[in-house]
Amino acid sequence: MSGKPQDGGAIRTLPELLAHALAMENEAAERYGELADQMETHHKTAVAAIFRRLEKAEKAHLGELDEMCRKVQLPHYAPWDFKWSGSESPEAIAIGRVNYQLSVREAILLAFEHERKAADFYAEIANTAEAADVKELARQFADEEHEHMGWLETYLAECGPDDSRVLEDPDPPLGQE
Amino acid sequence: MEAVTRKYKAKDYKSELKPIWCPGCGDYTVLNALTRALAELGLAPEQVAVVSGIGCSSRIPAYTSVYGFHGVHGRALPVATGLKLARPDLTVLVTGGDGDGFSIGGNHFLHACRRNVDLTYIVMDNQVYGMTKGQASPTTAPDWEGSKLTPEGTGINPFQPLVVGLASGANFVARVSSSDPVNMAQIIVEAIRHPGFSLVQVLSPCVTFRPEQAEWRDIVRTAVVDYTDDAARAARRLMTDDGFNVGKVLYKGERPPFRPEFEKTNGSIAELEARFLL
Repeated sequence: MSGKPQDGGAIRTLPELLAHALAMENEAAERYGELADQMETHHKTAVAAIFRRLEKAEKAHLGELDEMCRKVQLPHYAPWDFKWSGSESPEAIAIGRVNYQLSVREAILLAFEHERKAADFYAEIANTAEAADVKELARQFADEEHEHMGWLETYLAECGPDDSRVLEDPDPPLGQE
Repeated sequence: MEAVTRKYKAKDYKSELKPIWCPGCGDYTVLNALTRALAELGLAPEQVAVVSGIGCSSRIPAYTSVYGFHGVHGRALPVATGLKLARPDLTVLVTGGDGDGFSIGGNHFLHACRRNVDLTYIVMDNQVYGMTKGQASPTTAPDWEGSKLTPEGTGINPFQPLVVGLASGANFVARVSSSDPVNMAQIIVEAIRHPGFSLVQVLSPCVTFRPEQAEWRDIVRTAVVDYTDDAARAARRLMTDDGFNVGKVLYKGERPPFRPEFEKTNGSIAELEARFLL
């Protein structure tokens, strides 16, 4: 609904790229953390562990990015002014896409989908920007997202049959009698 | 675009308490949108208060770092009214659900709209009482058969909060979807900035007792018309839509907010006795 024409296509300068990267990594780290908290609250520990691991990875990435941004005057974007094609940044899983019965495999696939969107976002900038420094940094960021995708592919390969099952609920929500 | 650093980030408005809503609940998104809006407005947490009643969505004050009051069922609006009149310097927000606001608190809702105190009322409408395990609420469709209390549906036309709000005098009316938190943050910013009583209806699915509402994210569409300052026109538009036109302000009025002048007092008991004791 806050529709923008394409992810990353309008980003031209290094401060613009860094402002977007910082917002995206922040949002991703927070969202993975929120999802891990939600799943822990509902005792879905295996799914929570996946999201927690991703939160840690995003926070590590964020630390490096923060360091990089320290020397640059970043422009301020209101949340609705970022150049994402969707409502939120490409890496953030929409809250409405999870549920308490999410299987481990579904959680990994969901995370993979959003890591790929993040990689595509940076790749789009690398392909369309004119400035060499923007292209180079966007490519580097895209590679980092590909690295996360690689981890997720490994997790997916390690999934057993139980990890594909919709989590059973021993105490399902019942309407009042 | 400004080259400035914002003093507050959205997470500065969140408390350490972890929400216990069901995963996938629209209320998480409202919390995120609300904190983003406050960060964008640059309001210090101690300049803001969130008042609520009872229900899943009324838990929001506990999850924020601003002043909060988790009050009595349906009574959030009178508490917020009193707070705003006593402390006009505070930005006072009211949060709650459709049952709390339009059934138990229905009468307060009408008069809060009429009175037009400078408040922002964010109603998370999921058309069900979720906290008490899924009964029909004032906004539930008449043919919803999901509750054993109303196995053949309520047979009663749903309450139209925005139309009633307009008729009663709300000064700002908008409808948003929890599937678009960024748009919601933008509308909340506008609602807070607009003087008087601002009403924001959020279509916020209950994934547990109304799982079919997960489809709302595919059904909602951005309203095609911009806001009007004509309440009757806005009401006519609302009466003829299907409830899924979202993402825009529908009405902005120009009625001045209710700001009574209070006599200065020295706050002593003797003075209060002299004024009020019969």
